[in-house]
Amino acid sequence: MRLELGHFFVQDVRFGEKTEYRNGVLTINKEEAIRVVREDEHITEADLVIAKPGDPVRITPVKEAIEPRCKVSGGVLFPGTLNKLMPAGNGRTHALKGTAVLAVGKHWGGFQDGLIDMSGPGAKQTMFSQLINICLVADTDEAFERYEQQKKNRALRWAGMRLAQYLGQTVKELEPDEEEIFELPPLNQRSLKTQQLPGVVYVLQLQSQMLDSGYNALVYGWDANRMLPTLMHPNEILDGAIISGSFMPSSSKISTYQHVNNLTIKRLMREHGKTINFLGVIVSNLNVQLEEKKRSAYFVRQLATALGAEGAIVCEEGYGNPDSDFIYVINELEDAGIKVVGITNECTGRDGRSQPLVELSDKADAIVSTGNVSQLLRLPPMERVIGDLQSLARDGNSGGWEGCVKEDGSIEMENNGMFCADGVTGDHYKTVVEY
Amino acid sequence: MKRAIHYLNQFFGQIGGEEKADHEPEIREGVVGPGILLNNLLAPEVEVTHTVICGDNFFGSHKEEAIERILNDLKDKPFDLFIAGPAFMAGRYGVACGAICEAVQEQFGVPAVTSMHEENPGKELYYKSIYIFPGGNSAVAMRKDMAAIASFAKKLATGQPLGPAREEGYIPRGIRHEAFIDPPRLGADRAVEMLLKKLKGEPYQTEMPMPKGDRPAIAPAVKVEEAKLAIVTSGGIVPKGNPDRIQSASATKWGKYDISNLDRLNAGEWETIHAGFDPTFANQNPNVIVPLDALRAYERENKIGQLHPYYYCTVGTGTTQAEASRMGREIAQELLEAQVSAAILVST
Amino acid sequence: MTKEIEKAGITIVQMANLVTIAHSVGANRVVPTVAIPYPLGDPNLSEEEQYQLRKHRVGIALKALATNIEEPTIFEV
Repeated sequence: MRLELGHFFVQDVRFGEKTEYRNGVLTINKEEAIRVVREDEHITEADLVIAKPGDPVRITPVKEAIEPRCKVSGGVLFPGTLNKLMPAGNGRTHALKGTAVLAVGKHWGGFQDGLIDMSGPGAKQTMFSQLINICLVADTDEAFERYEQQKKNRALRWAGMRLAQYLGQTVKELEPDEEEIFELPPLNQRSLKTQQLPGVVYVLQLQSQMLDSGYNALVYGWDANRMLPTLMHPNEILDGAIISGSFMPSSSKISTYQHVNNLTIKRLMREHGKTINFLGVIVSNLNVQLEEKKRSAYFVRQLATALGAEGAIVCEEGYGNPDSDFIYVINELEDAGIKVVGITNECTGRDGRSQPLVELSDKADAIVSTGNVSQLLRLPPMERVIGDLQSLARDGNSGGWEGCVKEDGSIEMENNGMFCADGVTGDHYKTVVEY
Repeated sequence: MKRAIHYLNQFFGQIGGEEKADHEPEIREGVVGPGILLNNLLAPEVEVTHTVICGDNFFGSHKEEAIERILNDLKDKPFDLFIAGPAFMAGRYGVACGAICEAVQEQFGVPAVTSMHEENPGKELYYKSIYIFPGGNSAVAMRKDMAAIASFAKKLATGQPLGPAREEGYIPRGIRHEAFIDPPRLGADRAVEMLLKKLKGEPYQTEMPMPKGDRPAIAPAVKVEEAKLAIVTSGGIVPKGNPDRIQSASATKWGKYDISNLDRLNAGEWETIHAGFDPTFANQNPNVIVPLDALRAYERENKIGQLHPYYYCTVGTGTTQAEASRMGREIAQELLEAQVSAAILVST
Repeated sequence: MTKEIEKAGITIVQMANLVTIAHSVGANRVVPTVAIPYPLGDPNLSEEEQYQLRKHRVGIALKALATNIEEPTIFEV
């Protein structure tokens, strides 16, 4: 499997006559873009707003982030979800780097939605403050979940993908600024030198705790709750085979932007043939029943063992109950003699004194910590809000509460509600330390 | 100029050795013994104005009295810092340093710093509440240990920003907060580089040391057929409308609800507000979380003495351990007052 | 919470799906439940069967309360 990723480094995004990309500037014809958004009749209102790093802007409720991309050859964008089902990970894909399409609720937020500050102290919390964000601010007719705390956000998430695809088309015929090639041959076709390096697997535990469909991460459109751990080629993930779900406090989530830019996978690919023999990605899940947790952990162990793994990196998309799936997998792998590094966030409470994970194990002796979901943040008012700031206080956001939005627009919140802030795919420099 | 007060035992306070270990607490102006070194190291920003001296045995056997008398002696003295020891491997001295630091810090709100060997029993008792620097095992380490205390104490007194425990050098207090790695190192690089080290058998540092759990003593068996039994749940079952506004995640509130006239919890009248799972099933039949119907049946069969008239409820998702412990203590208090002797807790 | 109630001297049994978590957070008597969203029910069963299942598991919990244990114990259902 060979994937060529062509990067276009976007310097600026603005509105204009024609949707096009020229000399580092992405120009968007707003009307035409909104027509694409409104191809789904469930979208009842839509607007586009651009937010740049350093702007005095607060964005919430953010439901999803997607990198503008197009497939030049060898497949379709987001197969099995946005487009027809076919294999991902081959051919050529172009991406507008440094930008993201954000799906933002015009009014209604929920447990799983997030907040992004483009400047000020809050801008350190999440990597999304560093991107030029093309905010799709929209409302839908999904009345059944308007007042629900848990929302599937289906219309908005799909509209975001359509918009990202539409914008990505601008660079389909152009020459990228930079090209990255991802190639990982079958296990038996690797050089002797590579085969002598320690074999490493990456274990991705997708959020899949909801029993009802529509909330969990999707693998080629398939609900991660309804799958058993399986082996995937890293290219498939970097090329859009997995999309983010709509459940779990936002800071713990992996957005679709982060899946296709999974930095841990990219680093493992770079190490392949030099320091390690990268065996592949075991995509697993996070479950609510003990038997399911055990079953998945056994599958992960068996797959890793059969592949000859000596090392593994385990990434957990969530916190709380999923900590047990995380610890089970680490225990199983360590018991099989595979050396594990885990990457996850933690929940130590506002005073920082609580135990970091709900389940502990002495075998989990190498953990990268990417954030504390319960870190209390006090953030000053912003000149502009994109979306609806009250949603943080009103709609059951996991990081907000009644009264957390002050009259002057300043807010108090827990990191829980910062959009995809704990970067468990390895894209941020935040950690947790002991005082 | 900021002021510090220094605590010493009878030996370092130059009263005498083991035979003087019953020496009662006293306070003196100025510095004594190792206080001279401390004062030199703290100058010019901080001055040691007084020295408290207490015998280790006196402190150990009359702990409350010793603390009370020392706090009383300090009442009218203005000071910005409290420093004890260093205590090295001296067990009684280490415990006394820890205890007096904790008490002074709590009473006067000034930071307290001490130093002792990591195996000194005082460390395990007090590292979570005060700053303890890891020290040598005997007075040979005096100069080094005192220097560590002094440079940190200066920072405290002058209000300089403090780094995490590992940077400052004190024993981590079990308080974990977010920090930004400077210069930035992304999670992906940290994870892969940690794995490479682990694979090679080289030393590496986990970012999340596993804490040791603490487990309560096992309560004895009860005669259930005579017991007053209470139901507690973290599954968020509340009367429809959630009258106490318990949060559906990261809860800080709990509620108690009268079930004395009920045989079961009916759908429509009770619901779950727990945000961490699909609520459909529990809303259709709240007894799947609060098994009132089954417990009433056992009560009728005389297999339970009596069901407590209230059940207690909070939400267990995202709830920190500290909040859960506080709520647990509050509920336990209610249960004790109601003479409940056994409880069933249903968690989700 | 279980831990704090037990510390107060009240004998307590925790009914939990994630028995290892219950165990690792300090519960001494643990009885497994069916699933997180329906600890004492099962949507695949009839109402009456669910009630029987619930009564059975609660019965195990009562037995756990009446049992002296030497170490933290998961009572099998």
